[in-house]
Amino acid sequence: MSLNRIKIESLARVEGHGGITVDFKEGKLSNVTVDIHEGPRLLETIAQGRTPSEVVSLTCRICAICTLSHRYAALRAMEKALEIEVPPKVRLMRDLMHCGEMIESHALHVFLLALPDYLGYPSAVHMAPEYLEDVQAGLRVKRFGVRLMELTAARSIHGENPVIGGFGRYPSKSELLRFKYEAESLIPDAERGVEILRNLRQPTYMEEGMTFMCTKPEHDRYGWVADRILVSNGQEFNAWDYRKLTNERVVPHSMAKRSRFQDKPYFVGALARFNLLGERLDGVAGEHFRRCYNLSWIRNPMYNNVAQAIETVWALEEAPRIIDKLLTHEEDPAIVAPSRDKGAGSAAVEAPRGTLYHHYEIAEGRVVHTDIITPTAQFLDMMESHIRVAAKNLTDEGDTDNIELKLEMIARAYDPCISCATHLVKVRGL
Amino acid sequence: MIASKTQAAKPKVGFYGFTGCAGDLLAILHCEDELLDIFNAVDVRSFLMASSEVHDDEELDVAFVEGSITTDHQLESLADIRKRSKVLVALGSCACFGGPQTARLGYGDWKERFKKVYGNTKHTVAKPFESRPLDEHVKVDYYIPGCPIDRYQFFFALTRLAQGMSVELTTFPVCAECKWNENECLLLKAQLCLGPVTAGGCDSRCPSHNLPCIGCWGPAAEANVASEIDLLKERNFSAEEIVSKLRLFGGAAMVRRFADLLGIKAEVPARRPRPKKVREPVVAGKAKKKSPSKRPAAKSRAKKR
Ligand code: SF4
Ligand code: SF4
Repeated sequence: MSLNRIKIESLARVEGHGGITVDFKEGKLSNVTVDIHEGPRLLETIAQGRTPSEVVSLTCRICAICTLSHRYAALRAMEKALEIEVPPKVRLMRDLMHCGEMIESHALHVFLLALPDYLGYPSAVHMAPEYLEDVQAGLRVKRFGVRLMELTAARSIHGENPVIGGFGRYPSKSELLRFKYEAESLIPDAERGVEILRNLRQPTYMEEGMTFMCTKPEHDRYGWVADRILVSNGQEFNAWDYRKLTNERVVPHSMAKRSRFQDKPYFVGALARFNLLGERLDGVAGEHFRRCYNLSWIRNPMYNNVAQAIETVWALEEAPRIIDKLLTHEEDPAIVAPSRDKGAGSAAVEAPRGTLYHHYEIAEGRVVHTDIITPTAQFLDMMESHIRVAAKNLTDEGDTDNIELKLEMIARAYDPCISCATHLVKVRGL
Repeated sequence: MIASKTQAAKPKVGFYGFTGCAGDLLAILHCEDELLDIFNAVDVRSFLMASSEVHDDEELDVAFVEGSITTDHQLESLADIRKRSKVLVALGSCACFGGPQTARLGYGDWKERFKKVYGNTKHTVAKPFESRPLDEHVKVDYYIPGCPIDRYQFFFALTRLAQGMSVELTTFPVCAECKWNENECLLLKAQLCLGPVTAGGCDSRCPSHNLPCIGCWGPAAEANVASEIDLLKERNFSAEEIVSKLRLFGGAAMVRRFADLLGIKAEVPARRPRPKKVREPVVAGKAKKKSPSKRPAAKSRAKKR
């Protein structure tokens, strides 16, 4: 065994800048690190002393792919702090924009970022000549997600239309209807992603049991927004107790902080949601889930790709249901003004890649404390652990051909968002 | 220039990202209808977010660079990209002005803030420092502002640059677009709208949704910030709130041009440490401007945007 170090300087096809280092000592695996090279922005310190609405516009800029999840979490937390109750139409619009983000982010990841690995190409563009129809189907679904975000949020990235207390403008009935029919027509395209992934053999060399976590909606349906957090050991927590779930620490090899639950790494994301709430899935997505689910889903992060593909189908089924409800609300509600200028609020939403927490404290109309915990920061330790297991198994078996790619694929299955990962901080009273 | 080459070979293009949210590169991936065409029309040599096939030791015709510079490693790779590229384009407000992470530039509190976030851990990955836009470090040929950029401005720039032509983006403010869209003026409704001083190009997106512009495109070329501040004061906004809004996305450009108005006394952009390796960048095209190592005074630089 002559390997000393495997170093992947820059992970490709993920958001942001990170790498993987695997060290060996005398032929034995000694250390695995996921290195985060993303530069620090200290946005939480920029938030200090600003108005709540400025802070909503700021914290969504943490990450472009999760921008609306950040916005949704920020709005909910701010509204709790300021005691704002928004009318049902506002909640429906927010859920619709959330569908847009899930569809866009998952379609991008499944079709353009993850599939090329399985099929042996460096990118979806290289894949296109051979798999043109699949790539185009993926692009159609992705484009719909983008347009749905534009419709609801004013832009697909950092859209400013969702504000504290409501929306600046609502889409017209005819626009909503058009989107409803288009969503329905795209379900077969999204199913294509599920079918391709279902028929591929998932590698098993990284398998290891995981702890899962996700938000648990109060109603008995599947969903992404709630005040309760469910853990795979059966425990439940209130979202505002998120600090108990996400104990953080700083590590030298990374500009991101890390989370652990009861001193163990854990997984958040589509795979966690499906392991914990999968039986709630209905419609075509529910059928796919029941057909694809197997016991490896609790040990193998590669199934996160399959879960995302199925979740895309569910989002395309859910959007028309939300639109139907929206159409029953004739009046566009005015933006609700805050009833006080101080308070504290925490909120959780599911971002495409896992549970996202925002917490704010406001005094005299200014934000004095910001705390944001992103999904990637939470699952980095779990990711490192799976990469360690894989590196050990592969080198023990002498199967080191293409080992870099194999390790990279594991990292990509998590769909990490490294810009997000550098924002796990607590800033008080600057 | 690139033009002579286009017949023989497709222009070589690279996409790079530094500190930001990846929103401008994502905005390019959001061009689903044109994505395959873009990759066919130019020879994309590097786009790490989209492809694992990367050639990062070659000369480029055009480099598109997103994000601001916040570590010594980034500074080195930016210098390397500059050296290899005939034309370098700053993509998005972070690259153009430093982005929201530059909103406290000039207050001299970066070290303290860094410690608040990371404590005393010594980072082994890179040496961090306060965010600066690209042109604090290297020569930037073109600026495509926006947080994030607008995909049509990007197409326009790409098409022109691929043919060796220059790029001139809009010089009018959001306010002008707002008039064309026949929106009701939000200043008249006593809202804190930055449309009059913010570069246009977004089709007055926010005012068209009945919401005030928060300035995400950065200061317009001819922004009259003094009169905007007066206008807003007349509407009973406090100086503190106005400055806070102007600074959120104004980055270093706002500081360079309007430090007095913003009440920033500190001698603003202090020189950043430069990596030893940086040599004179190879610059084609409009090569008359001074090299980055002899940075001209802040004032004259401000006009370029
Ligand atoms: S300019 Fe805006 S969209 Fe672009 S990287 Fe910076 S924060 Fe993201
Ligand atoms: S109106 Fe202002 S804040 Fe809104 S997108 Fe345009 S420049 Fe940005």
